Amino acid sequence: MASTLRLYLTCIRNTLEAAMCLQNFPCQEVERHNKPEVELKTSPELLLNPVLICRNEAEKCLIETSINSLRISLKVKQADELENILTKKFLRFLSMRAEAFQVLRRKPVQGYDISFLITNYHCEEMQKHKLIDFIVQFMEDIDKEISELKMSANTRGRLVATEFLKQFI
Amino acid sequence: MAFIDRASPTLTEILLKLYCADKPLEIDHHIYEFGSVEYHIQCHASNPQVAYLSISLPSLCQGLQSDQLSNFTIQRVKGLCPEALHIVDPPKAGYQLTLILNFNHIPPPTKDHVEIIREISTIQSVVLSCQLREMLQNVDFYKPIKFACHPREPFFLIKQPQRIIAIFPIRFRENTDVIIATAFFQELIDVGNSDKWSKAPRCSWSAIPPPELRGEAFEDLSTNGGFVSFDISSHHIEGKRLDKILWNLLNFNAYVRYHVKSTKGYIQRRMRKKLKSLVEVLHPTSIEENEQPKKLEGCRYMKKFVRSSKSKILKRRWGGFSRQIKRIRSRLQIHGFGRFRQKWLRIPKFRSKKYAKLE
Repeated sequence: MASTLRLYLTCIRNTLEAAMCLQNFPCQEVERHNKPEVELKTSPELLLNPVLICRNEAEKCLIETSINSLRISLKVKQADELENILTKKFLRFLSMRAEAFQVLRRKPVQGYDISFLITNYHCEEMQKHKLIDFIVQFMEDIDKEISELKMSANTRGRLVATEFLKQFI
Repeated sequence: MAFIDRASPTLTEILLKLYCADKPLEIDHHIYEFGSVEYHIQCHASNPQVAYLSISLPSLCQGLQSDQLSNFTIQRVKGLCPEALHIVDPPKAGYQLTLILNFNHIPPPTKDHVEIIREISTIQSVVLSCQLREMLQNVDFYKPIKFACHPREPFFLIKQPQRIIAIFPIRFRENTDVIIATAFFQELIDVGNSDKWSKAPRCSWSAIPPPELRGEAFEDLSTNGGFVSFDISSHHIEGKRLDKILWNLLNFNAYVRYHVKSTKGYIQRRMRKKLKSLVEVLHPTSIEENEQPKKLEGCRYMKKFVRSSKSKILKRRWGGFSRQIKRIRSRLQIHGFGRFRQKWLRIPKFRSKKYAKLE
């Protein structure tokens, strides 16, 4: 793993460990309702300052925290058009299957490629350290998968081109 | 990746079915290929050894080409299997060519008959290649000529001394397809320009129309995938290779589309695989739970107990239950306590008062 990526991921891991102190908190506006405050933003006293971690202009991570929920939004690097469509395709594919992850948001926050919403219930059901591990692993895997997909698409193209040119010789 | 086969797979299948049928078949099929090629196959049960095959092809080049097939083309078609094929003149209405296929003249079922029927099924490619070859040989054109093997995918040929330039405008509906195709063209140019492939025709890609197409209609020059050009020298089209080259040029668009489609399928497969591995990170326990539990060996007594019949189990239970009741109800037996009780703890007997019934 590149040293810059390691630093970036370590920074995200540490921030998540600090931010993921969630507790049950009923809605202050509607009786007998329990909603993620980071989404509703009805009471400013329940929200913490959002943290933005940037590796570079194209890669960044926004961590928004509230008393009972946490929202993590990721922007994945897209160096060229092929990477751009592969990233879009892959992240859309994952978002469409958000129920498999439970913590994945169906629609990303504006300006980001993918978002997660973690509530205090998720922290109770799944362990906190496992959730953090998952987020970090997810970020690593997405980068790796997109690079591999790009390489595979180019290799396939090269093979197909070779086969085509063989016909002329 | 397999090339688009010169033999039509559906036509091959039907002809083989007719040829190998045990009992006479009545067949009247219309087959459409590439959206513009139409086959009509007819076979009567009364005469199963003869099949009528008609074919209608799109005009390759409007204006330059007559509706009727040339002698050269007819001779080439006949040459596919001279014993078994007879050309009907005039052809059926709506078709350019009608053939009588006599199965009696095809050798009895061995490996050869499949080859012969496959050869007959290449009729479309033979006709198209002949038409294109004739145009290339007979017509002297320095300005681009538009050919359309498939109506929505035209391409241009420019004949120059010692070489032919083929230019393919590339159009796709989706942006994703354009990007995958562009990556493929980049690879095609890289491979084509390497020393190993110096004998292959030089190919190039440009986003804007090449200078050779100056003056062409605007709708032909508006593309989203750019223009791919092949510079074909005279040595590429010598002898028998010409047919193969022409067929490849005619199907270049279809070849690119097939590559794009299969790449998209490959990406989808990889994404599905990755989804599974990502979910496993989050829910490793759920997967473990789904696994079948290992067989545990219970104690022998329990095994015996489980094996015994229902009535035995009930009896055993009742026995235990009755023993418990007896234990509860049984008096404490202390040696000599009975005599002590008789002597000292005698309870006096009282006469029971009888109540007289009131009258």
